Amino acid sequence: MTINAENLMLVGGVGAFLMTLHWVRVRELRERSAIAWLLVATLLLFTGLFPEVIERAAEWSHLSYPAAVLFVALTIIYLNSFFVSVSLTKQYRWNVRLTQQLALLEERVRRMEKDTKE
Amino acid sequence: MRHLVVIPAFNEEAALPGTVARLGGLPEEYEILIVNDGSRDSTKRVAEELAARSNRPLHVVSLPVNCGIGVAVQTGYRFAAAAGDRFKYVIQFDADGQHDAEFIGLLVAQCEFQHLDLCVGSRFLKNFGPGSRSTFSRRIGIRFFARLIGLMSNVRVTDPTSGFRCLGPRAWERFAEAYPEDYPEPESLFWCARNRLNVGEAPVRMFERQGGVSSIRQLRTLYYMVKVSLAIIFDRLRRRESPAGAAP
Repeated sequence: MTINAENLMLVGGVGAFLMTLHWVRVRELRERSAIAWLLVATLLLFTGLFPEVIERAAEWSHLSYPAAVLFVALTIIYLNSFFVSVSLTKQYRWNVRLTQQLALLEERVRRMEKDTKE
Repeated sequence: MRHLVVIPAFNEEAALPGTVARLGGLPEEYEILIVNDGSRDSTKRVAEELAARSNRPLHVVSLPVNCGIGVAVQTGYRFAAAAGDRFKYVIQFDADGQHDAEFIGLLVAQCEFQHLDLCVGSRFLKNFGPGSRSTFSRRIGIRFFARLIGLMSNVRVTDPTSGFRCLGPRAWERFAEAYPEDYPEPESLFWCARNRLNVGEAPVRMFERQGGVSSIRQLRTLYYMVKVSLAIIFDRLRRRESPAGAAP
C-alpha cells in the first residue's frame, strides 16, 4: 500500500472508528459524545474511499488538494473543540450549583443536629 | 427585619478572627455568614470556632473545593434566598480586614433612604488618609471600569471594583440565580445599572489587607482587565431583564 493522502485518511478513519468504539465500550465516552466522533470517522473513511469527493470540493473552492484536506480537517477540529467548550461551560455550571447545594445542605444538617442536641 | 453580612474567605485563617471581632459592634439584627471557599489552610476550623463562640448568629458554609470569589459570594446570596424573607439586605464584606465595619450601617441606611438596590462602598468619594485608596496602577484600572460602565449604562460610579457593598432583595435574589464567577464586582454592578435597578455609592474607609492573598495578582491583571471588559460588553449585547419593580 502506497502512502498517500487518500490511504492516510482511510487508515485514520478506521483508527478513529476503533478508538471511538473502544472508549464507548469501556464506558469512558458517552454515546452522545461518540456520535460526533463517529461522524468524523465516517467522513475520514468516506474521503479515503472516494478521494474524488475532496478533489471536486478542492476544484469547486479553487483550493489545491492538500489545502482542501487541511480546510476540512480544521473545520472539524474547530467545530468539535467549540462544542466541547460549550459542554464544559454547562458542566461547570452544574458542578458549581451542586457544590453550593452540598455546602448549604451540610450547614443546615449541622444546625439541625445542634438544635436537636440543645 | 434582619440583615446578612456575607464574608467570602479563602485562606484567611490569620485575618478572619480580627474581621469577625470588628463586626461585634453591629446591632443585633445583623447575622454573619462566613463562606469558606475550599481553603487549604485552617480557615474552616477557625470559622467554626468563631461561630461556636459568637453571641450573634454566625453561620459557616464550607465549599468543598475552591470555586472562586464569585461562587463564594453567590453561595451567600443563595443562603439568604433559602431563608425566605428573613433577610432584607445582604452586605458583602471582605475577610482580609480591608473593610471598615463602621460603614455597614451607612451602606444599609443609603439603600433604605434612597431606595437603592445596590449601594457600593466607594473609597474615592472621601479621602480617609493614606493607604486607603489602593495602588496607582489599580486606580487606573478602577477608573477604566468606571468609564466603561458609565459609557455603557449612563450610570456614574467611582469605585466599581469595590467588594464592600450592600444589596437589596431585588439584586441579591437575582444574583442567587446567576452571578459572575470571577472578578464579579464591576460586572454585577453593570448588570444592576443596565437592568434599571437603583445603584448608588457611599463613602467608606478601607485599610491595607491584614492577611491572605488578593485574588487580583500582577500576572492576572491583564486577564482581569480583558475578562471583565468583555463580560460588560457581552452583557450590553444581551436582552434587558425585568427584575420585579425595576424602573420601566
